[in-house]
Amino acid sequence: MLAGLYGYIADLSEGVLMTLSLTFSSLLVGTIIAVIGTLLLTVKYKSVYWLVKCYLTLFTGTPLLVQIFLIYYGSGQFEWLKESRAWVLLSEPWFCAVLALSLNCGAYTTLLFHGALSSINRGQWESCQSLGMSHSQTLKVLMPYALKRAYPAYSNEVVLLLKGSSLASTITIMDIMGWSQRINAQTYDTLMVFGAAGLLYLLLNLIITVFMRLFEKRLLAFEQV
Amino acid sequence: MNAIVESLLLASTITIGLAVTSALVGMVLAIILALLESTAIKWVNHLTKLFIMLLRGLPELLVVLLVYFGLSQLIFIITGQFVEISAFFCGVLALSTIFAAYVSQILRGALQAISPGQWEAGQALGMGQLTIFFRLILPQVWRHALPALGNQWLVLLKDTALVSLIGVNDIMKQAQLAAAATWEPFNWFLAAALIYLVITLVSQYGLKKASLYVTRFERGGH
Repeated sequence: MLAGLYGYIADLSEGVLMTLSLTFSSLLVGTIIAVIGTLLLTVKYKSVYWLVKCYLTLFTGTPLLVQIFLIYYGSGQFEWLKESRAWVLLSEPWFCAVLALSLNCGAYTTLLFHGALSSINRGQWESCQSLGMSHSQTLKVLMPYALKRAYPAYSNEVVLLLKGSSLASTITIMDIMGWSQRINAQTYDTLMVFGAAGLLYLLLNLIITVFMRLFEKRLLAFEQV
Repeated sequence: MNAIVESLLLASTITIGLAVTSALVGMVLAIILALLESTAIKWVNHLTKLFIMLLRGLPELLVVLLVYFGLSQLIFIITGQFVEISAFFCGVLALSTIFAAYVSQILRGALQAISPGQWEAGQALGMGQLTIFFRLILPQVWRHALPALGNQWLVLLKDTALVSLIGVNDIMKQAQLAAAATWEPFNWFLAAALIYLVITLVSQYGLKKASLYVTRFERGGH
């Protein structure tokens, strides 16, 4: 039984790289989106504010699966899109999955960062103002502080993203989940195959969590005085 | 066209039914898990902790597929007979277990947030254990747990989309069928997204009202 499990883990490990590439590409893009989104939310223009709010509501209020299908299958509906240059990217499942995952992760992370930024003591904003700092200068001082404070919740977001990346298997991507579904269909040895996939996901989650914890200690060292 | 819209709306009731059933079953499971985790028997609460940790680390899609395909295999191994299990049942089982893993932690946290002095105060007033729990402790537990519970409900609502992949006829499945039938995938998936959005927004409104209600004494109103 253990030999069987080991064999399946070896088979599924072909998908590990794909899962990791999906997760970390989306994490990178999502974090950039989140930083920009957070900055935009502090801007005084009402229209910009509402635009970002709409994006957040749309992507946090609907299932990730719908978002993936909307981007991958939905883009095929428009002839003009098919004839444009963007089609090279949009016909690529990997690109669509990363786009959906980044937009999704970006929305949740924006909420996280924005929450951290608004939880900073009012006094800090006021002291920046009284020093004669402009809006952008103030943000330059307070943003790093807010981002560090948001870090523990952010590591949770990484785990959610890794789990969410399994949905990419629904648009033909062969990640861990994709391979396990294929092998399951070939062997009908469901419990073992999905058990092996589960072990791989747990292992990846464990590694990520341990690394994030180690990093957290250094990042938040300034609070442990 | 109208028929498709109608079936999409009908499918919405299936999604809501699935979410509500999973939430109710999940709530019962969560209470059981929370109790098992706080028993005095060491191995029971270690085992429960491990179970919860495993569930939280697994992708939701994997859990749904594991329950759906794995359950019939398990029955086959035990009884030697092939039994087809309804996808809706498997969906509820998977979603409620995932829900319970998160909610049990919320409940435990909320219970611990209430100081033991409250129990003692109840005893000093001559109340029984059950009365103390239901009249004194539980109303305060809600106050602590409601925001996190509400969040978990919204997560559950979005996770229900996964059961379309095992064949439950929910919003997502209907949108897929409509997309294939009309060659208009964008319109139908957008429609599905908007329905989910409406359900989410209505839930958020309700949760806001509920949290105002459970904190009414704190805020000084009566």
